Amino acid sequence: MVLTKLAARNVKRQIGNYLIYFITVSLTVALLYAFCNMLYNEEFQRYARVMVELRSSLRGILIFVSLFVAFILGYATSHMLKLRKREFGTYLTLGMTRKNILTVFILETVIMCAAALALGIVAGLFLYQGIMVMATHLMNIEFAFAAYSFQGLISTVVLVCGIFVLASVISAVYLKRVSIYDLIHGDKKVAKVVRFPVFWLLVMLISFCVILASGYRLYFELNRSIGNTNGVILLYLILALGVAVLLFHIGLARSVTNLMLKSRRLCAKETNTFIFRQLSGKLGSNSIMAGILSFLIFFAIIGSNMSFWVKVSQMPAINQYYPFDISARLDKENGDPAINIDDAKKVIRDFTDIEFSLPYNIYTTGKSDLYSMTDWSTYGYKEFKDSFIRESDYNKLLAALGKKEVALNGGYRIVSNLPQVSQYDFSNADLKLGGRIYQFEGFSEKMPLTVDGYFFAVVPDQVAEGMSIQSECIAMNVVDNGFDVEELWSALSYDHVIKNGPHSYKDSDFNIREYIILKNKVDSAIFIISMLYISIVFVFMAMAILALKTLSELSDDRQRYSILYRLGTGYRELSKTLFRQIFSFFFLPFALPIILSIPITIGCAQLIKLSGYDEIVGLFYTSSIMLSLTLIAIYLLYFAATYLIARRNVLHEMS
Amino acid sequence: MHKILEVENVTKYYGSGSVITKALDGISLTVNEGDFTAIMGASGSGKSTLLNVIATIDRVSAGMILVDGKNISDMRENRLSAFRRDKLGFIFQDYNLLDTLTIGENITLPLNLKRIDAAHTEKELLRVSKALGVEDQLKKFPYELSGGQRQRAACARAIITNPALILADEPTGALDSANSKNLMKTFELMNQSLNSTILMVTHDAVIGSYAHRVLFLKDGKIWNELNKGDRSQLDMYHEILTVMAALGGDVGAH
Repeated sequence: MVLTKLAARNVKRQIGNYLIYFITVSLTVALLYAFCNMLYNEEFQRYARVMVELRSSLRGILIFVSLFVAFILGYATSHMLKLRKREFGTYLTLGMTRKNILTVFILETVIMCAAALALGIVAGLFLYQGIMVMATHLMNIEFAFAAYSFQGLISTVVLVCGIFVLASVISAVYLKRVSIYDLIHGDKKVAKVVRFPVFWLLVMLISFCVILASGYRLYFELNRSIGNTNGVILLYLILALGVAVLLFHIGLARSVTNLMLKSRRLCAKETNTFIFRQLSGKLGSNSIMAGILSFLIFFAIIGSNMSFWVKVSQMPAINQYYPFDISARLDKENGDPAINIDDAKKVIRDFTDIEFSLPYNIYTTGKSDLYSMTDWSTYGYKEFKDSFIRESDYNKLLAALGKKEVALNGGYRIVSNLPQVSQYDFSNADLKLGGRIYQFEGFSEKMPLTVDGYFFAVVPDQVAEGMSIQSECIAMNVVDNGFDVEELWSALSYDHVIKNGPHSYKDSDFNIREYIILKNKVDSAIFIISMLYISIVFVFMAMAILALKTLSELSDDRQRYSILYRLGTGYRELSKTLFRQIFSFFFLPFALPIILSIPITIGCAQLIKLSGYDEIVGLFYTSSIMLSLTLIAIYLLYFAATYLIARRNVLHEMS
Repeated sequence: MHKILEVENVTKYYGSGSVITKALDGISLTVNEGDFTAIMGASGSGKSTLLNVIATIDRVSAGMILVDGKNISDMRENRLSAFRRDKLGFIFQDYNLLDTLTIGENITLPLNLKRIDAAHTEKELLRVSKALGVEDQLKKFPYELSGGQRQRAACARAIITNPALILADEPTGALDSANSKNLMKTFELMNQSLNSTILMVTHDAVIGSYAHRVLFLKDGKIWNELNKGDRSQLDMYHEILTVMAALGGDVGAH
């Protein structure tokens, strides 16, 4: 009973210290609750069968975010414990047992947790509706008030309780091991002279070069292999980027302020020495944390940029890749198709009338003469065989799309959807076909890639006649698109058995544009919501850690600023010094991602251009700038709150 | 003789409503240039309050304080900071050295706050650190020094700006007897060789006996005053003990 009263009083008195922690926990609960509700929303999932993917993806994200939040809150709780260790040491000297102290601390945490859970769930109710508005908008589903799920509520409570149990275990382990002496005297930090600041400056500069080089390499890789990205290379590059960001911050923390301290002229100005020493100590002991936070913010910026990229490029990409309502490519090498073109037409007619259908073939010589002119002939890429289409078929497709027909003039033309194909030089690639030589006439209008490769060539009809058929294709438009697209896709699909295994999946050789639009919208909604959600969690957590770190060192700062005040530093000067100190500490992990977001955005825009969507580059830039401004605004808001709390605490008696 | 400090009828109240404590009750005193004055008294007698109002860290409720001819009682906060920086030097019981700064940086901090150029700052640092025997400790941090060395560093910081008045609040409170005596020798050196004017609060009769003049406070008023004159330090010490016995307070006579 006494312990409960003590815990309740402590919470009341420590509210200033716990404020940022409390806000962060409440926000985390709100984010988890909104997400859990979405996971269990039945109406939301009833809209389409493809939502099964949505649910499993969201569950994966929830587990990831929960683990991340558990780590951060565990860290924050142990940090709060260390902040008050002198108080707990005093309890021990007064005869309280470690068990008593742990009980008090856990009771305090439970009171905090219950309050944060209640506030977080209330905030989560609104946040959930906000996320649902966004999700339904992204999926073109009409929004109606989203029902709350009991299962979602239970999941949130269980998750939050689990996270707090974990945090309590960390605290218990610490309290069990720490000595009374360390509790009472352990927080008397001593300043350490950083050795070899020039070496750390070099580490910082080299890391910065590695960041730029891996960023450029990443861009180069994405550019070279649009549509066929090498995952292993990307993983290595991201790993290199992460290590470089970490080393950059360690180098920065251990070099810059220490080198500034060597400049007598700089140090002789007002409180500069004090600020440099404060920063040197704080940055030195927090350099790894700053690096990790920086990487998280980096991820948040890249992730959000990518999600906007997906959003803005979605419809142009579908229109480009699937210009006809229904199209198909039946590869000869796969044997007889499960559903042939005639049978498919019969099925389609059961759903809607066909406006026109254009059958055509893709031919091959079985050689790779044209691919040998490109990077796709090197080791590591699939060995593609050159593909050809008859001039008359190609012009038929162009005419159906309302485009101008081409004339070959006795040569051949290369057609592709990928802009980088036009970067290759085919001028020396003379085709020897049917005893005649055909010269390269240039590139032609972008067309859907109805081949198993990156491009195909348009050749005179008589040349193609002598080749073997690679694929049978069809392009058709229907009279009315108001049919049940999922039903039609189901009717045109078959069970694809995976080679040498018992598993199979539903597949179809027929691309129904409306079905692809629906599926893409669900996929992009998952991607966008996940990316933005993770980005928000990362940014909030990064800011919370910075704020907690700053506020937990206030008692030491108060003493130092009091000395400065007694030595004749005015209130305004003290405020300025405190502002510069907190701003520099806060800004360190944020600076690099914000600066590098400029080349990242330009790089992404360049990739969009190379993908052939020049028209959406402006929209992408606008989205990216808005995103950066939003991140900066959130960051400044947190910084301002921290600064004001710190100023009130540190300079209160001097005002 | 030039008057460095004039305290005229100063009163200080704490609290409000029905719970009011009178910490200083119409105190008046004068300190001349080059004086070494000690203020003694029992706990709660008002000696620290008096030092705080002179140090401009606290405000008086009534009365007037002039330091070097300037009235600090009604000075605005921003001018007070500059005044503290330019005219006063502080030595505290717990040294009040910044733990994150080296000894050299701690000593030069008041000059940095005054925006004195780096070359002059360096010259002054050498002068005071040599005078107080801390020139070998300049690159060390406070935690690397003994209590006595830290307090000497605090003295160096207090005199680097050549302040009109040095205020010392229980300067030997955290030192052993040997270090306390050494510090008092330092105070004598500062007073005699550097002509520093010192006002020191202490409850220790031995430490008080180093001063030229001792003021005894009781219930916020000056109750008695002793002038050293030609007396030896030992005689002064016995005189202080006698006054303290009469004062009736157990103020820790050694």
